[in-house]
Amino acid sequence: MREERESFAILDRALDAANADEADAMFMSSDANISRFANSHIHQNMSEVSAELTLRVVIGGAMGVASTTSFERDDIAEMVAVAREAARHSLPLRDFGGLYRGGENAPDLPTFQRAEITPAEKALALRTMFDSGRRSGVHFAGSYGTDQSSVACGNTHGVRRYCAMTVSEATVIAIRGEESGYATDIARPGIDIVALGAEAIEKATMLTGVHDKIPSGNYDAIIEPAAVAEVLDWMNMISFSGQAFEDGSSFFVGNIGTQVASKDFTVADDAIDPKFLPFPFDLEGLPKRRVTLIENGIARTPVVDKAYSDRLGIQPTANGWGLGSPEHGSALHLSVDAGNATREDLIRSTKRGVWVTRFNYVNGLLEPKTAMMTGTTRDGTFLIRDGEVVARLPNLRWTQSMVEAFSHIEELTRERRRIGTWSNPFGGTIAPAMKIAGWNFG
Amino acid sequence: MPPSREQLEDALKSLRDPALRYADVRFTATHNQHVRVRNGEVDALMSNVDRAIGVRVLVGNGWGFAASSDADEASLLRTARRALEVAAASNIASTQTITLSDVEPHVASWRSRFEKDPWSIPLDRKIDHLLSATEPMRSDPRIHQASGDIASYRQEKIFASTVGSYIEQTTTEMGGGIEALAIAGDEFQRRTYPNPFGGDFQAAGWEFIEQLDLPRKGLQIRDEALALLAAPKSPAGRFDLIVGSSQLALQVHESCGHPTELDRAMGLEISLAGGSFLQPPMLGKFRYGSDLVNIVADATVPKSIGSFAFDDDGVPAQRFPLIENGIFVDYLTGRDTAPVIGRRSNGTVRAETAARIPIIRMTNINLEPGTTPLAEIIADTKRGIFVDTNKSWSIDDVRLNFQFGCEVAWEIENGRLGRLLRNPVYGGTTPEFWRSCDAVGDRESWQIWGLPNCGKGDPMQTMRVAHGAPAARFRSVEMA
Repeated sequence: MREERESFAILDRALDAANADEADAMFMSSDANISRFANSHIHQNMSEVSAELTLRVVIGGAMGVASTTSFERDDIAEMVAVAREAARHSLPLRDFGGLYRGGENAPDLPTFQRAEITPAEKALALRTMFDSGRRSGVHFAGSYGTDQSSVACGNTHGVRRYCAMTVSEATVIAIRGEESGYATDIARPGIDIVALGAEAIEKATMLTGVHDKIPSGNYDAIIEPAAVAEVLDWMNMISFSGQAFEDGSSFFVGNIGTQVASKDFTVADDAIDPKFLPFPFDLEGLPKRRVTLIENGIARTPVVDKAYSDRLGIQPTANGWGLGSPEHGSALHLSVDAGNATREDLIRSTKRGVWVTRFNYVNGLLEPKTAMMTGTTRDGTFLIRDGEVVARLPNLRWTQSMVEAFSHIEELTRERRRIGTWSNPFGGTIAPAMKIAGWNFG
Repeated sequence: MPPSREQLEDALKSLRDPALRYADVRFTATHNQHVRVRNGEVDALMSNVDRAIGVRVLVGNGWGFAASSDADEASLLRTARRALEVAAASNIASTQTITLSDVEPHVASWRSRFEKDPWSIPLDRKIDHLLSATEPMRSDPRIHQASGDIASYRQEKIFASTVGSYIEQTTTEMGGGIEALAIAGDEFQRRTYPNPFGGDFQAAGWEFIEQLDLPRKGLQIRDEALALLAAPKSPAGRFDLIVGSSQLALQVHESCGHPTELDRAMGLEISLAGGSFLQPPMLGKFRYGSDLVNIVADATVPKSIGSFAFDDDGVPAQRFPLIENGIFVDYLTGRDTAPVIGRRSNGTVRAETAARIPIIRMTNINLEPGTTPLAEIIADTKRGIFVDTNKSWSIDDVRLNFQFGCEVAWEIENGRLGRLLRNPVYGGTTPEFWRSCDAVGDRESWQIWGLPNCGKGDPMQTMRVAHGAPAARFRSVEMA
């Protein structure tokens, strides 16, 4: 992981060479370790040291972007030439008001504790978890990663930002025959892999051998945080992004300020919550703040980068996570407000329903205007009857409009869980479990 | 500058551990260029060069892998040392014996062929090409987005191993496509050519983009997107389904390619990508499809992005059957998985770059053409639906229960294509679906499709694979 001085020196080298009307750059470095395991055995174990520099130049209102993993002067000069060549051949971006001018402080977030753990310490923790699994008759699959990284960005208007961050993330599946359970966590300071193993064991061994089936149809569903995160990841692309808003495919279009979901549903992009995965700025240098996307069921704003903030006349939301990226805004710190219930309350209040641990292979492209999605359940699907969990269910297919689902929220838990996503190196989702009426399984 | 052969071999020699059983070192330089136009402006114009080294070691029964984006000599030696440390850690929680299948040493150099170097084509020509295809599409106000993409890719790869292999490979690829997005009220329709998600891809140069002839297709997909806005919804119920080549290629990918990956069947990918319903005791016995279903893995198809000369274990590219006359006969394997089923590696292990661990990946997984012309299949269908071009895809964690949405469908009545239908969605379970296949199109309807975005692994690796497929008919398929 590169320190601030070195990171800024590399940024300056690129910005000084840019020779453009405007330019901005980002430099990211990472020391990552990830151990993958299956059948209670580490089968892939890796350590990666990496760094990447990206430069965007603006010439006559047109942009060009280039990146490299080599930072010698000649390599940077080559990258600059490629970016300039791209901008020279590109076309001016409509309504673009220029790069961020700075003048605001990034939020003062807590110092991130370093999750330094050696490969050997990680292997020992995993061996402890594997041993506990053997005692319960389960074996484990999953991954356990730690990453120390730095992010620096800046532009020719004098903006300079730097942040060092650490993250630990693990996914654990406990497997006994055809039955499995799941647990996951992501955190800046570190995670307890053995505790995750115990949680997964509990799910995998619940109601062992007690199986039932249900016909296709609508059921009350208790959707745990990992499942909520899966559908919100898709909504980030098809509903919340500046691109989806601009092209008209988002259900936000024409609905800003109107009730689109239950009054109990509030989702924000919140990178400044110290209990979540804090990060102080976006990669265009704008300071992060809490941006509410849906507030008590009312659609408030999509998220945008600087170019689409200018184009759509939307107040900047600090969601530019890729210089020149076609999403034009992505919410990488999705935070769903908690409710007042416990998971047991949700179960007790359910006459006939399905309890879902997580989803598999969700796809949100069926009908984006209603956020119609499909997927299956996995790693712990249970039947609830008269307020009690009575049987394990096979994995179920479901096809459901999320606009409709979030309009039918009945209760939310007090407890929220952090969920990571492979595509998001900066944040994740923090969400409660939800009880939703009339989820369509089939 | 890539490291020299001497530097790579010195890195291997620096690995001093009495329990070292195998090691390899790789270097990749991966060049990507992406041009995207959208509604008359250049929406993205990005170039990326990614250089990486990776060292993989097997010490006792523990694998260790270390990588760096710094490819100089000192970094190579540091990375080799880290790989040994990681392998030592693996041995702390190692509970299984690892056996590697044999491989001969190979010294070779290979380059994919192209006529017109993608990087020799000026950027303004690529932009103009896309604008000439997409601008005419914007003549109707219901077209909210007219976009196009051209992507160029080149990867230079060097592999050296303690087996004695030294292999250099360079792959050059291009891809492109266009998209019309039409909206009227709450109705939203997307139509793409030649394929969604960036178009089609080949191991070729600019000549492939010329061959796609995007400027001539823009108005056609605009008109189809607009027609879909007003088309009736594809009906629900059971229908005889003819699946076009493009959609069937994705069906092969999801319901045959992934479940025949042996690492999935062994549970090694279960935490993220999932497992497989195809288990080793089913080899040679399980009826996966009807007699007409023949699916091969073929890493030697010219111009295809799933082709190469050697995989990242140093095993030569091969062609072999996965499904033969409907029977499941083989998996995709690597050196450390093939011995589990008593076989030798069939050379399908690849990594996205040298910074990632090589894992089993699809090559070109092809449904072999049959003998029936598509026109005859349609003429022979009394009441059915023809679907093509993928819109959405979803399959369960063992690759059994699937659901696909397509961009477009036509009803078939008494052997004739009829009305255009919107939002077709079909689903089923994999063996039931393939067993219902009673007509496979001939070579005329067969086409190979490049998919540059197959995701697997953790950290996620995006792999370039391809699928050849004709059109084919499936009886009594559930439509939603």
